Amino acid sequence: MNKIETYNDAIKRLEEIIAQVNAGAVDIDMLTANLREAQELINFCRNKLYKVDEEVKALLSSIADETAE
Amino acid sequence: MNELEPLTLYSLNNIVRATINRDMPSRYWVTGELSEVRETASGHCYIELVQRDEATRELVAKARGTIWARTYSLLRPYFLEQTGERFSVGLKVLLQVTVDFHELYGFALDVCDIEPAYTIGDMARQKQQIIKRLTNEGVIDLNKELPFPELPQRIAVISSSTAAGYGDFCHQLKNNPYGFVFYPSLFASPMQGAKVEQGIIEALNRIAEHLEQWDVVVIIRGGGATSELSCFDTYDLANNCAQFPLPIITGIGHQRDDTVVDMVAHTRAKTPTAAAELLIHAMSAQAQYVDSLKNDIALAVSGSVDNMRRNIQTILHNLPMSVALYLQQQQHKLALWENTVNSASPRRILELGYTLTTCNGKVVRSSANIASGDVVVTHTAKGNFTSIVTDKKNDNE
Repeated sequence: MNKIETYNDAIKRLEEIIAQVNAGAVDIDMLTANLREAQELINFCRNKLYKVDEEVKALLSSIADETAE
Repeated sequence: MNELEPLTLYSLNNIVRATINRDMPSRYWVTGELSEVRETASGHCYIELVQRDEATRELVAKARGTIWARTYSLLRPYFLEQTGERFSVGLKVLLQVTVDFHELYGFALDVCDIEPAYTIGDMARQKQQIIKRLTNEGVIDLNKELPFPELPQRIAVISSSTAAGYGDFCHQLKNNPYGFVFYPSLFASPMQGAKVEQGIIEALNRIAEHLEQWDVVVIIRGGGATSELSCFDTYDLANNCAQFPLPIITGIGHQRDDTVVDMVAHTRAKTPTAAAELLIHAMSAQAQYVDSLKNDIALAVSGSVDNMRRNIQTILHNLPMSVALYLQQQQHKLALWENTVNSASPRRILELGYTLTTCNGKVVRSSANIASGDVVVTHTAKGNFTSIVTDKKNDNE
């Protein structure tokens, strides 16, 4: 599995996994691995939506005039 | 009066005053540009009206004017309500005036009425010219054509830090009911008056220094009462916004026609709160999509497992029949082999009447292998007998 760094990459990979599984292109041994990867990707996406990234926050406050609390 | 006798200045001015009063008794409608507007504590308003040469922009006429407090207290709110603009420098106006001359203060216009429609028309004309120019230059839709980010979280807000609009915007984002994370950061700029254009352009430049750190730009201003918008109708500001490489959302807080900045922006919201709602909505759409992907993957996997289970069941179901068929085939083959073997067996040949002769337990294939006097055994299909060789003849003899 390639390292997923952006939300867009994660979404694309998820769509790809779904398409492959739906097409029956995944054998039973790979299925569990795919399911685990998909779960990780979904968590990654949900973290982007719902979890504060302190790194982003710190970076932005260093380049803006003022950061809202 | 002796013509050589000099007049006092007062007398001369008095003649001018009398002449003007006699020859210009009416009220006149006059157009001009406000080059100075000064309100006094007592409520009067002193203005300077100018006319410029269309081509060179150089002044060709100028006059001072007065709007007395009792008139100005009516005209001021009327003008603001009609045009959305404060009665201020830079505006083209149509005024009804009487011409005054005072011995001490000189020539001045006494303003008694104003026609806001003229100012509105002039502003609309200027706006149209800006729009036409941006269209001709091919930039008017550039910002609209930018893709909107999937997650508009890192928000560069251009606003005045003291404006209520910025507070409303941040409050709305922070308290979104889904718990989405946003990172709104302020790039301060005046949002009212003559410094808006420069302030916003400078803020855009500061944002552009770290372009990849931002998802979207939001330009907001508190709504309040009817507010001046002409500062958002300038060519340079609109051009900068249109060509900015991040999508711009406006929430300038007004109910009137769009300003040129609204028109070139990626998305126009009516108020800061509406701009925040729009961003929350975009996030919500993504959240739903992630949920649907989660469903899809579950369905796909369970579908795939079902498929495999069905395949195994089919195999199990068909297995007994396959085995029976296989056995039958093998039995058939066996029977054929048996037949072949049987037909090749010496017993079968003996039954046909042939015999087999052995000497000392070895099969006699040629008379050369035996000699007279040898004891040989002859095997028939049923029983055998022993003989003594009395004579032999070889093939080559």
